[in-house]
Amino acid sequence: MKISLNWLKEYLDIKDANQLLSRLTSMGLEVDTVTKLKRDMVIDIDMTPNRADCLSVFGIARDLSAVYKKKIKQPKRVKLSKKDKSFIKSVNKKISTSYGLLLIENFDNTIKTPKFISDRLDLAGISRINFIVDVLNYVMIDIGQPMHVFDKDKIKGKLSVRFAKKGEKIKALDDNEYILSSEVPVIADDNGPQAIAGVIGSNNSSVNNKSTSIIIESAFFDPNLIRKSSKKYRLQTESSYRFERGVDPLLNDFALGRVVSIIKDYLKVDKYEYIHTNSKPIARHIGKTVNMDLNIFEKLLGEKISQTFVKNTLSYLGFKPIIRKNKIKISVPSYRFDISIAEDLIEEVARVYGYDNFTEMPLPLSQRPLNLKSKKSINYFLDLLSSRGYNEIITYTFLPKDSQYNSNVKTSVINVLNPISEDKSEMRTTMMHGLLKTAKYNISRQNPNIKFFELGKIYKKHKDNTISEESVLAGILSGVNYETNIKQLQKPLDFYDLKGDLLSIFPNLSFKGIKNLDHMSSSCQSHILQGQKIVGLCGEPSLEIYKQFNIKNKILYFELSTELLNLEYNIKYKPISVFPKIQRDLTLVVDENVSGDDIIDAVERKSFNYMINSKISDIFYSKKEFGADKKSMTIGLIFQDNKRTLLDTEVSEEISKIISYLQDKFNAVVRK
Amino acid sequence: MLKEYSSLISELREKLVNCSTPHDLANIKSYYLGKNGIISNEFLKLKTVSSEERKILGSNLNNFKQEVQNLITRKNTKLSETIKETKQVDISLPGSNISIGSRHPVTLTINKIIDILGRYGFDTIDGHEIEDEFHNFDALNIPNSHPARDMHDTFYVSDTKLLRTHTSSVQIRSMLSSKPPLRIMTPGKVYRSDSDPTHSPMFHQIEGLCIDRDINFCHLKGLLTRFITELFGRDMEIRFRPSYFPFTEPSAELDIKFNGKWLEVLGCGMVHPNVLSNVNISSKKYSGFAFGLGIERLAMLQYGIKDLRMFYENDLSFLSQFKGLK
Repeated sequence: MKISLNWLKEYLDIKDANQLLSRLTSMGLEVDTVTKLKRDMVIDIDMTPNRADCLSVFGIARDLSAVYKKKIKQPKRVKLSKKDKSFIKSVNKKISTSYGLLLIENFDNTIKTPKFISDRLDLAGISRINFIVDVLNYVMIDIGQPMHVFDKDKIKGKLSVRFAKKGEKIKALDDNEYILSSEVPVIADDNGPQAIAGVIGSNNSSVNNKSTSIIIESAFFDPNLIRKSSKKYRLQTESSYRFERGVDPLLNDFALGRVVSIIKDYLKVDKYEYIHTNSKPIARHIGKTVNMDLNIFEKLLGEKISQTFVKNTLSYLGFKPIIRKNKIKISVPSYRFDISIAEDLIEEVARVYGYDNFTEMPLPLSQRPLNLKSKKSINYFLDLLSSRGYNEIITYTFLPKDSQYNSNVKTSVINVLNPISEDKSEMRTTMMHGLLKTAKYNISRQNPNIKFFELGKIYKKHKDNTISEESVLAGILSGVNYETNIKQLQKPLDFYDLKGDLLSIFPNLSFKGIKNLDHMSSSCQSHILQGQKIVGLCGEPSLEIYKQFNIKNKILYFELSTELLNLEYNIKYKPISVFPKIQRDLTLVVDENVSGDDIIDAVERKSFNYMINSKISDIFYSKKEFGADKKSMTIGLIFQDNKRTLLDTEVSEEISKIISYLQDKFNAVVRK
Repeated sequence: MLKEYSSLISELREKLVNCSTPHDLANIKSYYLGKNGIISNEFLKLKTVSSEERKILGSNLNNFKQEVQNLITRKNTKLSETIKETKQVDISLPGSNISIGSRHPVTLTINKIIDILGRYGFDTIDGHEIEDEFHNFDALNIPNSHPARDMHDTFYVSDTKLLRTHTSSVQIRSMLSSKPPLRIMTPGKVYRSDSDPTHSPMFHQIEGLCIDRDINFCHLKGLLTRFITELFGRDMEIRFRPSYFPFTEPSAELDIKFNGKWLEVLGCGMVHPNVLSNVNISSKKYSGFAFGLGIERLAMLQYGIKDLRMFYENDLSFLSQFKGLK
C-alpha cells in the first residue's frame, strides 16, 4: 500500500522521516520502496494479510502512535442522523450486518476534483474518475472504508442486499459481463444486480459527470463472502481487497460523515438523507475480550516487560486493558479482526517493544537424546558418486504427457489437476525422463561426456486410489571415461563402467540380466540386487527412447530404490592369512550364452579347497579359432590357506577339479 | 689400511663420481665385488701367505671390502634418487584420470544447513510431497476461508490431495507421531503454482521446529542469529521484524543486509497455540518455535546466481562450477 508522508502527518506528529521508515518496518509494516518528492515522500508498505486495520493512512497512524507514544488526531466528519430505511428493500444479514446509504439530491458532479485529492490519489496509484468517486476513493485510503456510488436516476425501485439468483448477469465497471451464481452477494434493484457486493459496481447504474442525484453505499460485508466472490471472478479491487480482510464494522456511518465533511467545502449539500440498518451482533468479533496472566508475556518472550509498557502500548493501539493483580483483561477494538488470543496480544506488545531489542539467548540442550541412527543417510554415498565424476542434478518432478516410458506404470500416473503448463502435468513414475532430458540438453551443448545422478521421489497411484512416494537414486552416463589426457587412456563408456561405478560405491550389489522391460534395450538390461532382493535396474534405454530424444550417443542408465537399498553394512573382522597366495589363470572355451556370472557362481557355490577368490579377467571372441557360437573366458583364481604355505601340487589338483566340474556343467574346454 | 688399498679406494671414489647410471654402477660393483673382482682375487691371494700375515692382511682386506661396499651402497641410494631427477618432469601437464563431479548447489546449501542445525540437536526428517489439506493447511491454522491460502497457489492432484506448499506438513506429522521435546528439520521439495525468473513451480525449503518446556522468543533469536553467522561464516548485519504466518504467533521475518539492501531470508515465530492443540500438544506445558527458509534463494545469495531457472536446467557448465564442494 502506497501512502504519502504529508497525509500521515495530518494524523500523527512525525519529525524525522528516516526514523519513521525504520519504525514502520520494526512495527511489521515493512517499507518496500520509498520515493522522495519535492515536498512529500511516497512510502510503499508491504502489508501482511492480517493487518486489515492498517489499510488506511489513519490506521497506519494509529498503529504508529504506540511506538511514537503520541496521541493521534481524529479525522474531521459531519455527524449524520439516521432516517428511516425507506430506500432499502431488504438486507440479508448473512451478507451485511451494517448497511448505510446516503442519498444526495441536486448534486453537481461536474466539479473538478480538488488538487490535494487528485494529487494524493495519484501518489496512492488510484486512477481518477470523477468528483464523487475520487472523494470516495480518497476517504477509503484515508480511513479505510470502501464505498460505492450509484446514480439514483438509474436505479429502479428500492435496493436490496441479497444473494444473486442463478444465471443473473451483471455488466461490471471493468466492461466485463459476469454470470452470477447463488452464493454471490449482490446489491440489486428491480432490474437486477447493480453491484457484486463489496467487489465491483455495474455499468448500468454508475455515476458520471452528469449525475445529479446519487446514492453512496457504505457498509460492512462479510469477509468470507467477499473473498469467495473475488476469487470466483478473479476480481481484486481496492474494495474487495479491504472487505475480504475485514473493514471495521463500526466505521461505515463515520465514513459517510467524513465524505460529507469533504464535499461540503466544494458544494452546497442541502438535501441529503442518511439511511442505515444494522443487526446485532454487527460482527462476530466485536466485543471480544481476552483474559490473560501477566507473566505469560515474559514466559513466551523471554524478557521482562513492565506492566506500564504493556498497558500503554495496548491503549495506544486502541485496546482497553484492565490490570488486576497478575491478570489483565483486554477488550479488542472492532477493527482488529486478527486478535483473539493471548499470543496475539503478546505479539502486539513485542512489536512495539521492538523485536531487535530482545536479547539473544542460547538454546538449552535438548531434553531428548539425538537419534543418530537416522543421520546415517544416503548423502555419504552421493558424495562418493560425485567423487567418481558424477554431477548431481535436480529436475522437475512433473513431466510432460507420455514421458513415463515404462508401459507397466502408465495406469499409476498421478495427474496435476491444475498444471502450470502442459509440460509439467504428470507426476513422474520414473526418474528416466529428467535424466534423459538433461543428457540431451548437455550433449547438444557440446558436452557429450556426462555422468549425472539425481536423488528424488517417484509417485504412484494404486488401484485402491492410495498414493505412494518412493525415494530413488538414478543416474545416466554417456561419452568417454576421461577427457583427453596425455596417457591416451580414453575409451567410450559402456555397461561395465556403470557397473564398476555402482560396485565401487555399493560393494554388495549384484546384477542379473533380464529381458522383460520394454523401455530398456533388449540386449542390455539388468536387475540390480542386494542379496536376493531386487533394489533397482540398469542398462541401455530402448531404441525407441533413443529415437524420441534424438540421441545418437550411447547412453547408460541406472536406478536404485534407496528405500529398498540397505546402507548399513554389518562388518565383522575375519583373521587374515600370513601365508602366500597362489594365483592361477584358467582360460576356457564355452558357449556364447554362458555368462561370466554363471561360471563364477558355479565355482563359488561349489567351494573348492583353498580357493578364496575367482573373477573373470578376460573375454575373447574368435570365429576362426573356436567358431561364432563360442567364446574364450579367462578366470583368475586365487588360492590361500590359513595355516600353511600351499604346495603347487595341491593347487594343481584343485584346478583340475574345477576344470572337470566346469566341463560337466558348461561343456567348457580348456583353451590350448 | 694398505697403501694399495687406499689408492684403490681413491680410484673407486673417482669412478663413482663419474658414474651416472645404474648400469655403470653395476659394472663398477662387479669390478670390485664380483666373483672375479678385485676383492675376490685378493682373498684368493690370502691363501698363499703365512697364517700370521694372513691375519693382518685379512683384517685389512675386510676393512677394504667394507669400505667398498659402503661407497657403492651410498652411490646406489643416491643414484636411485637421481634417476627420477634425470628426466625433467613437466609438472605443468594435465593430471591423468581426473574424475570429480559435483553436488548440486541446492543440496550443498541443504547439507550445510543440516550440518549446522544438527549440532544444535535438530534431526532431519523426510516427509511426503503429496499431502492432504489437513496436514498442509488446516492443522497449520490455515482454514479454507483464510486469506493466507492465497499466498499459496496450490497444485492439486485430486479433490483432497495436493502437492505440499511448504514442508510444515512434515512438522505436523512429526508432532502427531512423537511426543515433545522435539527438535527437527525438514528439508525438501515444495510446490507453488508460480513461474518467472524469481519463482519456480517447484523449489526447496528447509524448516526447523523446536518444541520443549520454556522455549521463548529470545531462544529463537539466539539460535537463528548464531545460525546465520555460522551459515555465512561471518557476522552478518541482520534484523528481526514482525511478520505474519498463520502457524506462528508472534511471527517474525529475519532480514540480512546484502550490499546495503535488506533481503528477507527466513520466516519464523513461536508456534501458534492452535497448531499445538491440533497436534494434541498442551500449550500450557510446552512452547516452541519454528522457522523456514527457501533454499534456492539462499544458494543464489551465497554463490551469486542471478536466475533461478539455472538450478533446473542442469547445464554441465553450471554444475561443474560446484565441484569439490561438500
